[in-house]
Formats: sequence, structure tokens, C-alpha cells
Amino acid sequence: MRHDFSELKLDRVTRRFAGAGGKAFNALDELTLTVRRGEFIALLGPSGCGKSTALNCIAGLMQLSGGTIWLDDTRIDTLPPESRGFGMVFQNYALFPHMSVAKNIGFGLRMRNVAAAEIAPRVEHALKLVQLVGQAHKLPGQLSGGQQQRVAIARAIVIEPPLILMDEPLSNLDAKLRIETRAEIRRIHRELDRATIYVTHDQDEALSLADRIVVMKDGVVQQIGAPPEVYGQPSNLHVARFMGYRNVLELDVTGQDGDRVTLAGPDISLSGVRKQPLAGKRAMVAIRPEEIVVTDSSAHGNTIDGRVDNVEYCGRDALLDIVTASGALLHVRGAVTIRRGDVVRVQVPVERTLVYPPT
Amino acid sequence: MPASADTLARTPFDRTLLLVIPAAAFMLLLFVYPFLYGLALSFNPKEGGPLANYAHFFTTDNLWPTIWITLKLALPATLVNVGLALPIAFKMRVKTRYQRWVTTILVVPITLGTVLIAEGMLLYFGPKGWLSQFLQFAHLYEGPIRLTHNYWGVLISLVISGFPFAFLLILSYITGIDPVLARAAATLGADPKAQFRHIYLPLLAPGLAMCFCLAFVQAFSVFPSAVLLGSPAGPTRVISIAAYEAAFEQYDYSLASAIAMIMGFVQLIIVSAVLSLRNVFYRGPVSGGKG
Repeated sequence: MRHDFSELKLDRVTRRFAGAGGKAFNALDELTLTVRRGEFIALLGPSGCGKSTALNCIAGLMQLSGGTIWLDDTRIDTLPPESRGFGMVFQNYALFPHMSVAKNIGFGLRMRNVAAAEIAPRVEHALKLVQLVGQAHKLPGQLSGGQQQRVAIARAIVIEPPLILMDEPLSNLDAKLRIETRAEIRRIHRELDRATIYVTHDQDEALSLADRIVVMKDGVVQQIGAPPEVYGQPSNLHVARFMGYRNVLELDVTGQDGDRVTLAGPDISLSGVRKQPLAGKRAMVAIRPEEIVVTDSSAHGNTIDGRVDNVEYCGRDALLDIVTASGALLHVRGAVTIRRGDVVRVQVPVERTLVYPPT
Repeated sequence: MPASADTLARTPFDRTLLLVIPAAAFMLLLFVYPFLYGLALSFNPKEGGPLANYAHFFTTDNLWPTIWITLKLALPATLVNVGLALPIAFKMRVKTRYQRWVTTILVVPITLGTVLIAEGMLLYFGPKGWLSQFLQFAHLYEGPIRLTHNYWGVLISLVISGFPFAFLLILSYITGIDPVLARAAATLGADPKAQFRHIYLPLLAPGLAMCFCLAFVQAFSVFPSAVLLGSPAGPTRVISIAAYEAAFEQYDYSLASAIAMIMGFVQLIIVSAVLSLRNVFYRGPVSGGKG
């Protein structure tokens, strides 16, 4: 077992399961990814997209059906989990209920035959890192959910693993605690400088934590990129939908000039940027609600007229549902002064109007 | 009048409590009353003072050794049953294609009565039984095989009839332990042996103690197989035989009651010793957190 590495390489890692009716399906299909030392990677996708399968394959808790995993020049996908030495944080914490907090955290060290005299200070240090000093003697059942999750993190990092794996570690916490613990995870990652692979279905978590995001769907990687890239330039319509491009309109293509595309519907005509090659006459336009601006009738260029059908008050602004004369629905963020029934004109920047082929 | 007292007084009677009545009546009529009757009877001997029966038991050479004879059968049988059931149940904890078949085959003896098991064993293990004939036929062992009408016959029958109970009980305890705990231990460097020792065993300990108690009580009250498969006059003259003889051969119900009380007391000692050991271990939910 090693404490450091420069590259973890997943090469076409595949995992097949027997599905309904005995038909096998690929829960994970040829995942190829290189994780560098100290990097924070988020595997992002809806449930069933294969992200947890990928994590279990890396941890050694699941056998691969195909592909290889390399830690620098050592092949590790044939090793059992106990020989890989990666720290893992589980969704439901998986703390040992019969052991005190200190015993839980020290478990990995005991398994490595670290001298008892050395275990105590290292456990103490880990407790300090997750801010749980003074709880060492308690049983997991006596802690709150957030504290339990921090014990789980301490238990995974105290063994100084080269790689930390986290499987939706925040999904069992309430909203406030989730944001606090998220910041905690970011801080710990900064202090330890250990490569981390983090599985989540929450795009905010992925965006705020990761150096790179791997967006997955049905076992297949859709896009790998830095958070601003995935957020601003989704590589396909699926990623766009998942990253919060709530407005998706199907329109006719009326012209193409390089990346620029002009499109038209019954009462909408827009210009946008093509993100994928367009083959047919129809195309999908994806726009984020917060990138649409409510203007007045004097504005021109990439505008849409409609009537406000619904208003959701959000404090700083409101979420508006705007319906055009032909019945197309737009979600828009606007001022709280706008009322239901108002007739409005909205405008969207051309470079924020993303065009994809229809799916 | 204070409001709290008022609400207390008006707390409606929970009528579901009435459901306890049949069970309570059952216990009272079929256990508590006969037990107290027997206890009183044991202090009313045919002759002598109130403790005469107990004095008789502990000074008579064919009575007091029955305690040891019974313990010598019941304790090893219990240890073997729990000891065999634990690793097999551990292997059977994960669902595989074979799990249901193996479990079914292991549990079948539950459906056989002790008498049926005894009959089968006499045919199979007896001096002219299949086992003996096969070994001689295959020239593996030429001598006579004595596995019936002695200590071993009774022990084997106790294992056959007791194992399924121990196995089912331990299987239910093991499957109750969240397998993610073992996976977590594995990522922390615990090989399968260490996972068993540090995770499964401590979490199973209270259940094993419970299983031991139930299996022991069952084995300690052995009667039919001790008669049919043992030598009830000698090495397998267990305590229940002594009680039976007192009651139905000497018609001394008082002495029989005293023997039954002693039998219960010995069981109580072993059971409370094991259960107090149980308190040493962690007892509580066996999952690793939320979800």
C-alpha cells in the first residue's frame, strides 16, 4: 500500500450486471479517466448513472467486467479492497456501532499494525481535523448525523490514503448541515492535499467542490471538464438539462454560419451557438432561467414576447413562467414586481443560447 | 383541580392491552400454576422434613451424578451446534444460487421428531447398520462400530435435532448485520478474517449467547433419545430419566418434583452465567448509521 502517487488511471473500466429477464446491461461503460495527485474529481449524474458503481470498482468492492485500473505503473484492479489502501466514506456512514469514536477512527491503523502509542496521537489529530475533539469515547449511536459523517471522514483520512473515495457523503444531512460539511470537506481536502473522488447527484456540490467534474448518464461519460466548463458549455443536451438549463425548445433551423445558428418557431426567432453538429432541420435550444432578462418593448435581437402565467416569489427575485402566443413555455428569473397576467418581452444573449441536435 | 391530574384521569384505557389476556392466562394456567404446585410439592416429601427430598437427591449415588451426566451431554452438544452453525450461517449470509437449497437441507431435521431421528440412527449407525456395513464392505474399518446405545448415540442425536435451531437463529442474526460495515472494514485494510473477528463476531456475540442458552436448555431436557439411543441405566442416565423414574416407577411425585426443580435450577445457573457474559458485549442496533 502506498501513501502517494502521481496518476490514477482508469482504462475503459466496465461493469456489467444481469438485469431484468436475464439481460445483461452495462452499469458502467468504458470509463476512461486519469486522476492526478491532489485532484478533486466529482462523478455527477442522476441515480442509476453508474457513478457509485465506478466508485465501488475503484475501491475494489466490485469486480470489473472489463478494463483496468492503474496506480502509476501498478495494476490495482486485481487487488482486494484491503490491499488497495484507499479511504472510503459511505453514504450511510458505515460506522462500527460497537466501537467508540476513537476505536472507529483507529481501526484502519490497527489493521496496519501501527503501534498503539502511535495510534492515539494520530486519532487525536484526525479528531481535531474534523473538529470532534472531546467526543472520542462516545459510541456512534450517541452522535448526530453530521458528527457521524465527520467521524466517517476522519476514519477514512487517518490512514493517510493516497486516494479518498466519497459516496454521496452529504445526502443524509439536512440543507444547512450539508453546506457546512461541504465547506469542511473542501477545507480538509486543501489541508491534506489528497486526491479525492466524490460521487454526487447534486450539481451544486459538484460545482463547489471539484477541480474537474465527470458527468455521467446510463453508465456512459457525457462530459469531463472544470466546473465553469460544465456549467457554461454543456457538451450535449443531457448535460445541459442536468446542469440547470431548464428551458429547452425545439425549433426549425433557418440558417447556419460557422457556430452561429438561427432558428425559428411559430412566434419565436432566436440566434444561438451550436455546441454539437446539426444534421436535420430541427434543433433544440437550451437556456438557463437566470440568463434570460426581462426587458421592455424597445429591446431588439433574440427577444421573445409572452404573458406571465405563474409567479414564484423567491425573495431577491421571482421565478416566472412565461407562455408565448403559440403556447411555448419559458422559465425566467425576473423582478418581484412582475405580476401574473403581465405581457412582457424577454431577451437572451446569443452566446448563452446553446443549440443541440434533437434527441 | 390541576389540569394535569385531570388529563391523567381521563386518559382512555388502551383496549389493545386486552390482547395480552389469552397469553397471560395460558402462562398462568400451564406454567406458573404447575411450577408453583411442583415447588410446593417438592417440600412435602413422603417422609422426613421439608428438605428431605433434596437431601435424598444429593446423597443417593444414582441420583446426584445425573446432573453431571446431563451436563456432559448438553454442554458439548450445545457447543458443537453453535460452533457448527456459526461458520455455515456466515457462509450462507449472502444470497447465492445454492443458499436456498443448502438452507433447506440443513433445516429439514426440524421436521423430524426425536423418536424418528432415533429410529433412523439405530438403522444407520447401529452395529449392523448401513454405516458399519459400508465401512466393512469398503475395507475402511473392520472392527465393530459402537455409535448407538451409548454416550455418542445420544450426543449425535442432540446435534442432529438441535443444529437446525441454532443455524436458523444465527442466520437471522447474521443477516441483520449491515454488510456495508464489512465493506467499510475492508477499505480500511481488514481482510475477510479480520472483518469476521472485528466486525461480525462482536456484533453477533449477544445473539450467540442467546442461541447458546436456547440450544442448551433444549439439550439439557433430553429424554427420548437418552432412552432410545443411550444406555439409560448407565452413562446416559440423564436427570430427566431420574425424574421420570421417581414419578412413574416409584410413584413419588414429591421426589420427582424436587428433581425437576433441581433440573430447572441447573439450567438457570448456566443460562444466567451466559447471559451475564452477554452484558459485556455491545448490544444495540447493528447498522452503521442512517439510511
